[in-house]
Amino acid sequence: MQILRKTNLKALEKAKKLGAKKVIDILKKKNLTGRGGAAFPTGKKWEFTLNAKSDTKYVICNANEGEPGTFKDRFIIKNNPETLIEGILIAAYVIKAKQAFIYLRGEYDNLRNLLQKTINKVVKKSGVDIKIISGAGAYVCGEETAIIQSIEGQRGHPQYKPPYPAVDGLFGKPTIINNIETLTNVPQAILFNDWDPNLRLMSLSGNIANPGIYELPVGYKLTDLIKKAKPKNKVKAIYFGCFGGCMPYSKIELTPDSICGKNCIIGSYTIIVVDEKQSILDTALSIAHFYCHESCGKCTPCREGTIRVCHLLEKIKSGKATKQDLEILEDLAMNIHETSLCGLGQTSTNHLLTALEFFRKEFEEKLR
Amino acid sequence: MTEFLLELLKKEVKKRGYISEEAVKKISKKTNIPVSGIYGVATFYSFLPTKQQGKNVIHVCTSPTCAIHNSLDLIKFLEKELKIKLGQTAKNKLFSLYETSCIGCCDEAPAMLLNGKPYIKLTKEKIKKILRKCKS
Ligand code: SF4
Ligand code: FES
Repeated sequence: MQILRKTNLKALEKAKKLGAKKVIDILKKKNLTGRGGAAFPTGKKWEFTLNAKSDTKYVICNANEGEPGTFKDRFIIKNNPETLIEGILIAAYVIKAKQAFIYLRGEYDNLRNLLQKTINKVVKKSGVDIKIISGAGAYVCGEETAIIQSIEGQRGHPQYKPPYPAVDGLFGKPTIINNIETLTNVPQAILFNDWDPNLRLMSLSGNIANPGIYELPVGYKLTDLIKKAKPKNKVKAIYFGCFGGCMPYSKIELTPDSICGKNCIIGSYTIIVVDEKQSILDTALSIAHFYCHESCGKCTPCREGTIRVCHLLEKIKSGKATKQDLEILEDLAMNIHETSLCGLGQTSTNHLLTALEFFRKEFEEKLR
Repeated sequence: MTEFLLELLKKEVKKRGYISEEAVKKISKKTNIPVSGIYGVATFYSFLPTKQQGKNVIHVCTSPTCAIHNSLDLIKFLEKELKIKLGQTAKNKLFSLYETSCIGCCDEAPAMLLNGKPYIKLTKEKIKKILRKCKS
């Protein structure tokens, strides 16, 4: 696997020889993009922070991977933490930051010692301090402005953008925020001539015999990927995490140029395989429940809407709902999608809107 | 670098299992953040309880992959075994039982955290064994 290749501080050495501007040029030329889901060019992001005027700048490594079905960051921390830390040091070198943070999700507390040991081993006399801040169970803190709030000791509420963290971030200073997969790719992209920008880590789970992390190129055929994962029964649907929406397995072949079709979002390549024995309504309930729990409560459509979605789905499941309830549910889902403040709320009903498009029957069967 | 509130609160939970009123007052003095502000932060996060917890805190994942692997049944089983409902702490303060969002063990579902440590590929038998170990 490319992501497991070690760079042994040689990339940092090379970066220091080249200087900040050239490092950014390499990242741009090699086409490294953010792996957290938004796919923003990493070189460009760093350039904004490099050009921002300030004597204090920060680097934050976003290790708050929380999208249900995703475990690639855990995989990297366990298997190649040295290269990750080197990536952070390179980011710090480029923008001349003295302080970096790793915001490690609370669910990964058991990885903290390993990370700390690696920091102690790798950082040494680099003049950069890398501090681990442990999260405490809040999915929303994967959003970059919420991470900043959380490190600053506030409730993890997302903020309106602009200003962007690149120029006005942690403690009001220019800040680079990248996730683990991105930062681990940085030294590899700098050092290896054969580094491939198209490889992605894909987290596969669900009703399959071979769940795990797969490293494959963008555009890899989803049906082939599912075959590799060895479904236990006939596959009914694929969920792209909670936020990406779902699609019927039978429709996959119809969208050859995109892994997930136009209705779904691929995000960070989270793939949950659901087979015929599962009920889409139950899955919808599980996901709705997740959003209800994780909504940060700052804006009304998401805070109240996610609760109402849960109630309506429960009503449908109990057999007491009417056709009108289903219409209200669909309307509400659309409203939450369109009017929520941050990505969490906006995408919280993708699963429902796609399920209602492709598996409507399973909902209608339950109506009274 | 100043002390980070989140870190202080996490440390307190690690030490005592929860953030007591006393602890809040102490941290308030130390950081100059009003008591209400500290409660505001603590209550935002799932893993910063402000009430006394059991000696063993269980968080069962109910996100889709674990739900597909029957984690909801496991919760019912745990409720019966521990004689408490989800979200409660046993009277003898031995166990607290919660659900949690995905803990990143989806390839080894169903999974739960016991005192922060992941336990994977759970079955009822496995849970029984784990509980027995906690009690002894
Ligand atoms: S959309 Fe949800 S998570 Fe985002 S700010 Fe609004 S309430 Fe918070
Ligand atoms: S869905 Fe349970 S650990 Fe990820």
